[in-house]
Parts: sequence; structure tokens; C-alpha cells
Amino acid sequence: MPDVYDAIIVGSGACGGWVALELTRAGMRVLMLEAGPRVDPADQFRHRFPFELDYRGRGTPGLLRRYAGTERNYRIMIDNVENPYTTSPETVYSWGRSRCLGGRTLHWARATDRMADYEFKAASRDGYGMDWAVSYAEMKPYYDRVESFIGVSAAAEGWPQFPDGIFLPPMALNCAETIFTAACQALGWPSTHRRLSQLTRAHNGRPPCHYCGNCVNGCDVGAMFNPIAVTLPPALATGRLEIRTDSIVARVRMNGENRAQGVTYIERESRTAVDVDATWVILAASTLENTRLLLLSAKGGLANASGTLGHYMMDQVSGGGVSGFLPVLKGGPSRLDDGKMAGVTIPAVENIDAKTQRKDFIRSYVMNATGGQTEFPQFAANLPGYGSEWKKEVKSRYVAQARVWIAGGEMLARKENFVELDPEVKDHWGIPVLKIHFTHSDNEYKLIADFQRKAEELFRKAGGEMMPGPVTPAGFPGGAGSPQSAPVRGGSSPERPGPARRPLGGSIHECGTARMSVSPKEGVLDSYCRTHDVPNLYVFGGNAFPSTGDKHPTLTMMALTARGCDHLIARTRA
Amino acid sequence: MSDRAQLTRRDLLKLTTCALAASGASEFFTAWLDAAKAPAHLHAAQDRPALRDYQPQFFDADDFAALQVFTEILIPTDDTPGAREARCAHFIDFVLAASTDAAPDAQAQWRDAMRAVKASGFHTASAAERERLVAAMARPERERGATHPAYFAYRLIKQQNTFAFYTSRAGLIEALDYKGNRFNASFPACEHPEHRVVPSA
Repeated sequence: MPDVYDAIIVGSGACGGWVALELTRAGMRVLMLEAGPRVDPADQFRHRFPFELDYRGRGTPGLLRRYAGTERNYRIMIDNVENPYTTSPETVYSWGRSRCLGGRTLHWARATDRMADYEFKAASRDGYGMDWAVSYAEMKPYYDRVESFIGVSAAAEGWPQFPDGIFLPPMALNCAETIFTAACQALGWPSTHRRLSQLTRAHNGRPPCHYCGNCVNGCDVGAMFNPIAVTLPPALATGRLEIRTDSIVARVRMNGENRAQGVTYIERESRTAVDVDATWVILAASTLENTRLLLLSAKGGLANASGTLGHYMMDQVSGGGVSGFLPVLKGGPSRLDDGKMAGVTIPAVENIDAKTQRKDFIRSYVMNATGGQTEFPQFAANLPGYGSEWKKEVKSRYVAQARVWIAGGEMLARKENFVELDPEVKDHWGIPVLKIHFTHSDNEYKLIADFQRKAEELFRKAGGEMMPGPVTPAGFPGGAGSPQSAPVRGGSSPERPGPARRPLGGSIHECGTARMSVSPKEGVLDSYCRTHDVPNLYVFGGNAFPSTGDKHPTLTMMALTARGCDHLIARTRA
Repeated sequence: MSDRAQLTRRDLLKLTTCALAASGASEFFTAWLDAAKAPAHLHAAQDRPALRDYQPQFFDADDFAALQVFTEILIPTDDTPGAREARCAHFIDFVLAASTDAAPDAQAQWRDAMRAVKASGFHTASAAERERLVAAMARPERERGATHPAYFAYRLIKQQNTFAFYTSRAGLIEALDYKGNRFNASFPACEHPEHRVVPSA
């Protein structure tokens, strides 16, 4: 164990794992600190049917009030009792988190899309907010590098708003997806296979997907990207990476020369505080945890000369959508429809250039559609009737299910959406927790309303029969009468004042709170995700995003990380 | 913080202990893994002792017997297994018994529901009368303006019975023929030319 590491990485998720890979391959000695435990895929990620689980997936009554997720995957989520957060009275926000080696990529949706210049440079087009300090041309080599390594199955299409990359063959479309593709063609909309970091053939020593459909419960063979299968093994193979799990970083320590000296972490079980030092400190603990650490590390926040730390919090907006059935599929044979957990993607067609600029709202959204058999027939309890005829109808519709949902809708960056340290509430280790202030603006409501119109238009064109009533039937998780109902995500939201408008959802794509900027006066990070104020402190995650765009953010976070690593490594050689 | 976020470690430890203590959990769970595994289930019970001799933990004997019949009317055994083979009433009872600390509201809701079912005369009715009673309770589901004092009970039982059935081997595999959750060499592509054109309006 060296006295001073070349680099300390806080966090082991998509970005932390990438940093470990890049820096160890560059010859640096690296310490990775992960707040959660190690994960054993062979033990924890086995295929299990609901009837093999004690409580059929819902968990022991009360269990899912403590953990997000399900009985299958709660161990790779977070313990909400040990790790609370709070929210302001007007906030309705659920902060989805994981604490384990590998982080959220152990159970992520795998969507791997490149952002385009209509997103990076949106402010120049419509005048709202701030452009990114990078362009697509600057990001392209890093997208290429990440995609080449992790493996992305997709089809190249040549659309400017949906840049192509280095792709493995796409996954096949099931019947419902084929019908939705035909519907998109009839409407003149683009559509393509959902782009996923999920292998369709062996790649870099990893096996292809075996289409079990268990992705969100953890991949048992490493066919989908996650650090424990993809980036950490080669980093460990260099012999220059040390990983300490169950190590909860409490703050970044500074020296007297305005440089990060190292970090202090708390050993999870013993609660012992440990100081470790390094030449470079990299925060990659997830967007809001990174910001929490900066807030914990100095009065007013570390690297906060701009005063923007914690502000401009965003999360891609969700809500609405259509569920129902494709009558042409009713009564058909049972098929493996959900084995890839994918679908088709309909890229943004609004507000992507001057020609498509809308007057009623700015920015855009991406849609997804899929259908066919799913494990549990969510619709069944809402289907009127009972008896043998009802059973036959459930079976007939089971293979004809269909849905259209929003993959990502842009949320505008607003300074009044922010996080701060709660002055009263601390976590299990006595560290102050975050308090979240988060509301949506009219623009998000108009954007979602436009999405809803388009989703219904697509559904009708596909010949779909919309399911009346709530998408999630009462009586199932979250509904009345279920002993395991109403999972608590950890946030608090007492009485909400203000207009009685249905809250919009998030996408577990939180970003902002330490945005990148060309000028140090306007943001926390430079275009390499290095803090403007502290020259040996980098922050990787969604923090740097000045805007959300409408693509799933993980690939862009990783490409920014790769770019930042090049910058850091160049500094070590200067 | 809200009350919801105030669930303490002690509370959760208590919940877990309670659930594990309930009714010899592991033997019970293992028993229903095999429920309705073979075609013979349609004619002869394949009960293991844990299921055959099951004593309800939450419902009293009369309510449990009534619930069994009710669930079997809703999801009958026909050319595929039904609620009987899936032991839906057993599952509902078992989960509710483990809910004393975590979900007392749900327990109260079920007590109200079974009181309403009993008040309808269901418990002591003949088989044919029970069929008629369930039909009457279910009417508001299809007929706008129709009401029944036990409709909420019908809905509650239907919701939980549906969950219990379609998460059982009997429901998910035998009845629905679910294909996922297995190792597959490839993903089956749509091979239907008619799906490549939109249906005519």
C-alpha cells in the first residue's frame, strides 16, 4: 500500500470503472473507494422465477420500503434507512441509487445513445440556458473509444439527430416491434432498434446475450456492460488497482496549496475514519453524491467560486405513455418477446433544427415502443370479468401486449432546482444528507403533452387498442390492499403546496449541479470535467451536463470521462 | 423528514424476524414451488404436507375456506390449472400473516373485505348460490351505475388472486406458457410479412 497513490477514485460505477481502466493502463497506481459491498454475480444474478422467491418478487412485507427495486435485485440497490435524503415541500422526486461495486450499471436499462449537436449547442439555437463546452466533433473520438470497448448492438441509420457509432449487429425485432416499425414508416417518423450496450456476439472476451430478460436483476454472464464484468477486470489485471469496498467517503481533504490532498473515508462496519492521500482525486460516485461530497468538503462547497455548485439540477422527464394491445397478435402462440428487454427507438423529430422549431415548447424527446409477452400480465386484474372465459382472454392478450413510453424528455436547467446539505438529517455514519429542491416548468408539461399526442398517434397507426384506466392496476405494488404496497424511495415529501398539477416523473438520469462552463464564473467544471478551482480534482458523472438532452446519459458520461482521463494523463506527463 | 422515511433499523429487523418466524416459512415456500408441476394436478392434489396440512395464519378457518372457494370461482381449474393448484388463498394468507407490523392497513382492509363477503351470505351458501353471489358482486365492473356492498371485496380478492396465480408455476408456466428467464441461443425475430405493413383502418 503506497503512502500516496497516484489517484484516488471515489465510486465504482460506469465512470469510476472507466477511470480505473484508463489510469492503470497509463501506469498509475490507483485506489478505488466504493461505499457499498462487493457483488457476486454467480450467486446474486441467477435466473429465478417469481415462484422461486419467497414473496414472488415483492419481498418480505416492508422490505421494499427500505430498498428500491424488487425482491430479485434489492441487494444491488441502496438501503434507504442507512442512506436517507430529504426534499423540500414542493418537491416530488425519487432519487434512484445503488451502493455496491459496479453501481447502477448492474441493473441499468443499457440504452447507449450518442448526443448530437442539436443538444450540445441547443442554447445557441433557441436562446435558453448555456451551450456545452464541447461539441459533437470533440466528443466523437471518445464515443468511439467507449463503444468499441464495451460493445453496443445497434443499426447505423445516418440520422443527424441520432449519431451512429461503432456497432455490433442489432438485436432482432419481435412481432410488436415490427408492427411499430411499420407504423413509424407510415407516419414518416424514423425508428430503429434500441441501441444497447448488450452483446449480440462475443466481444472482448465476453459472451453474447442469452436473452433471458433478466437485465435489471443483474447479468449473470457479463453480456451487458457493467464495470464488474467489463472495465474493472482489465484494470485489476494491471496489478495497479486496489479496490476498497464498504468505504464511505466523507470529504475531500485539501492541502495549503489549493490542491486536493486526498479523502477521508469511514469504514462501513467499524465506523473508523481513514485518511488516504493521492496526487489526483477523482469523484465518480454518481451525480448527486459527487455534489454532496463537494458540499461536505468546504464551507460553502469545494470548488464553488462560481456559486453554481448544487444548482441547475435536472433529470430527464417522464410520464404518460400508452399501454394496450395489438389485436393482430391476440391469441397467437407464446413467444420469447421480452428476452432482450429492448424495443424500438423513435428519435426526436421536434426542435432539432430551425425547420422543426415549435412555438409552444423548446427541446425534445425520444420515444420507445415494444410489446408481446412479459413475465407478469399487469393488465389482467383490470380486465373485467372472471372465470374460464376471463382466463382465456388473459392468455389471448398476454402475447398481444404493447406499449409506447418516453425514453427521455429534456428538462430545462433552472437555477432554482438545487441540492444542499440538510442541516438536520444525517446518514447512518453521521454524514449530512442531501436536501433536494426540484420542480418542473411549463415547458416540461408541454413537452410531455406533445409526447402523449404522438404516442397515441403511433399506437393508433399500429392498430393498437389502448388499455383504459391506470397503467398500473390497483392492488399491485403501490396499490391499495397489497401488503407490500407503497415502496418508499427514501425521500420525504410532505404536504405539497402549489397548483394541483400531476407531478411528472424522472428517469433516474439526474444531472447538473456542477455544470461545465468555458468561464469559471459560470460553472464548476471545465470541458474536461476538472474543477475550475482545484487543479487536481476531477468530477465524472452527470454533474457536468449544462442540459439534459433527450438521450440516455450514461454513454455521454463515459465519453466525457474518457476525455477527462486523457487530459489528466497528459498532465502527469507534462 | 416524513414518517415514511423514519422506518428504523429496529423496525426492519423486527419485520424480517416476524416474516421468518411465520408458519415455518422455508418448508412452505419449497412446497409451493412444486404446486401444479405435473399434468396430474388437474385430477389429484400433489400436496406436500406443508400445503395439505396448512393452517391459516391470518384468516380464521371459515374465512379461509370461503376465500379458497372465492379464488377458485375467479380462476377455476379447466384445461389449465387454476387458483386451487396455485394455492392462491394460501399465498394471500401467508403474506398477510407476515404483514402485522409492515402493513396493518392491508390487514384491516382484508378483514373488512371478508366481513363484507360473509355479510353477503357467501360463507354458508351452496355452490350454485356462491356463483350467483360472485356474479352479483362483480356487476359494477362491467355495468356503469351498478353497485354492490361487497364490490370492493370482489376487487381486492381479484387483484391479489390474480397476482398469486400468475406468479405461481401453475399460472405463469402452465397457464401462460411464459418463455423468458431461460438461456436461449438467439432471439426469435418476427417472421411475419403481414406485420411489416400497418393494418388497414
